[in-house]
Amino acid sequence: MSFNKLTLKFLRYLLIGVLVVLAGFPVYWMAATALSLNSELYGTGQVVWPQPQNFPELMLELGQVPIGLWLFNTLLIAAGGTVLSLTLGSLAGYALSRFRFHGKGVVGFLLFMTQVVPEALILVPLYAMFITFGLLNSLTGLVLANVGFSLPVACFVLKGAMDAVPYEIEESAIIDNCPRFSVLTMIILPLIMPSIAAAAVVAFFAGWNEFLFASTFLMDRGNWPASVGLASFVGQYETPMSAVMGAALVFSLPAIVFFLLIQRKIVAGLTAGAVKG
Amino acid sequence: MPALTFTNVSKTFGDNTVINAFSADIHDGEFLVLLGPSGCGKSTLLRMIAGLSDITSGDLLFNGDIANDWEPKKRGVAFVFQTYALYPHMTVRENIAFPLIMDAFRKWYHLPIVNIVARHRLMRRPDIAERTLRIAQQLELESLLDRRPASLSGGQRQRVALARALVRNPSLYLLDEPLSNLDAKLRTQMRSEISALHHKVGKTFVYVTHDQVEAMTMASRIIVMNKGIVQQVDTPDEIYDRPANTFVARFVGSPPMNLIAASVGDKGLKLSGKLAVEHGTALPSQREVTFGIRPEKLSLHAAGEGRLPARVTVVERLGAETVIGCRLLTGEDDQSGRLLETDLVFVRVSGNPKMQIGEPCSLDYRAEDVLWFDVDTGQRLS
Repeated sequence: MSFNKLTLKFLRYLLIGVLVVLAGFPVYWMAATALSLNSELYGTGQVVWPQPQNFPELMLELGQVPIGLWLFNTLLIAAGGTVLSLTLGSLAGYALSRFRFHGKGVVGFLLFMTQVVPEALILVPLYAMFITFGLLNSLTGLVLANVGFSLPVACFVLKGAMDAVPYEIEESAIIDNCPRFSVLTMIILPLIMPSIAAAAVVAFFAGWNEFLFASTFLMDRGNWPASVGLASFVGQYETPMSAVMGAALVFSLPAIVFFLLIQRKIVAGLTAGAVKG
Repeated sequence: MPALTFTNVSKTFGDNTVINAFSADIHDGEFLVLLGPSGCGKSTLLRMIAGLSDITSGDLLFNGDIANDWEPKKRGVAFVFQTYALYPHMTVRENIAFPLIMDAFRKWYHLPIVNIVARHRLMRRPDIAERTLRIAQQLELESLLDRRPASLSGGQRQRVALARALVRNPSLYLLDEPLSNLDAKLRTQMRSEISALHHKVGKTFVYVTHDQVEAMTMASRIIVMNKGIVQQVDTPDEIYDRPANTFVARFVGSPPMNLIAASVGDKGLKLSGKLAVEHGTALPSQREVTFGIRPEKLSLHAAGEGRLPARVTVVERLGAETVIGCRLLTGEDDQSGRLLETDLVFVRVSGNPKMQIGEPCSLDYRAEDVLWFDVDTGQRLS
């Protein structure tokens, strides 16, 4: 290997290393802070290295809040929103991709508009609606509110993927006696799995990171998702920083695991159709 | 009773008429080829038979019953697509077995997870497994059964598509340019295989192609179409020897039939308006006609020996035979350099006559090999 090539390779790895450090440092700092004592954080200053001996102290602090329940609520909101968005999104995407009907353009425009309107803008009208429908203070209401935003994204992502599936494959299935709905479930959906994974990530994280609607619509502490629970650590006079970071770490881990599990599919989904295969 | 009957079937997309009052019978067990240039409506016609496209007007009858509104399922046809349309996420075995699995379909198989489990269970059912294997053996696909379409060659994919069509044993096979994506050698091989298959299964095949070689070699009858209108329905021999009009004459045959403007007067026949020819037999009664003759019916001679003086302009050596393009020397503007398509006359001769471009020569013909066409309508006169 020539000197130039070696230098280029070294620089490439150096760049990757810098990017990994930049991306990984916040997670590391979160862990290091979680394993620090509040007295250190607000007094002598934080030790750069994680201190595992402080783990029992952290557990004690986290044990004072129902963090497991909050995480479960978050999971319900994220998973519920994902399943509902993908189910409705694939049906709507299929209709928009394959059928001609009056108002198709209007439907597309309205779906797009949901992405233009800020969440905060519809907070009050939504609050009034939730009172009317009895959805206030319920996780179901929160799932529905989130789906309102993640469904159009899922719909557009899946429609785009379905557009790339040749008509002939679908017609071939129809000739083979496959009913129309099964054409979707047996033929189209398996072919657009990468895009489904990409849409799932969008919907899942929209639910996982949910804060605004949750902090407005959920009054019971037991219904809170982890995001609202985390915010509740911040007090008027003190903020137990190590507990906040510990809880944040616990809150982040399932999301990181979920992302790692389907990251390959997502990359394939994002680049699907870029190259004629 | 014919297997299929078209009665004044038309298809329009907005203001664009793709098929115009198409009427024809397709007989049971025949190999019918729909032949025509791209965009002539032949694939649309095939899709209408399959139930994939609606019929705008007219009637399509399956064994005497009007089938215009029948679902594809009710028609019981098999369709081989130009792009093969294999299911990329399924193995060859699953692709072939898919129509059989669908025949055993139950409503709850609609559910995403349930259908995967059901599909795998049905794949193991002895009758389905056995039939899949038998068809795979028939088409020499046994060793490929557990591979996915992406890892197959064009010819192998083609065979999988055929196997999927064959497995359900339908009474009507529809093939939409199934060989157009294959290379020339494989195309020749698959052509023979499809013909052999037709003889073996003895069912009705409707085959769409724009390749006249495929049509001539495989068909028991050919429907030649142009711009959505039927030009001729006949056997390959009749279509070649007695084309109904100038379109068929030029579309079928390679090189196409030579068509030369001719005028019939008191002094006999004049080709290209200038070249007086001693024709020999009775001439058509019309004054302006088109003189048509197949390239192999013309004979090539040394200059001065034949009735039509010419000059060689193109020489295509094909091995066993040579196609020579000549320009008739009408005595006036043959040196102008202006070369119209109709000016070029092709001669097909066996072997290699060692002709050079620019060399003077002469052509001759037998009067009974000439076909006459109406100048205005293009229809054959004799």
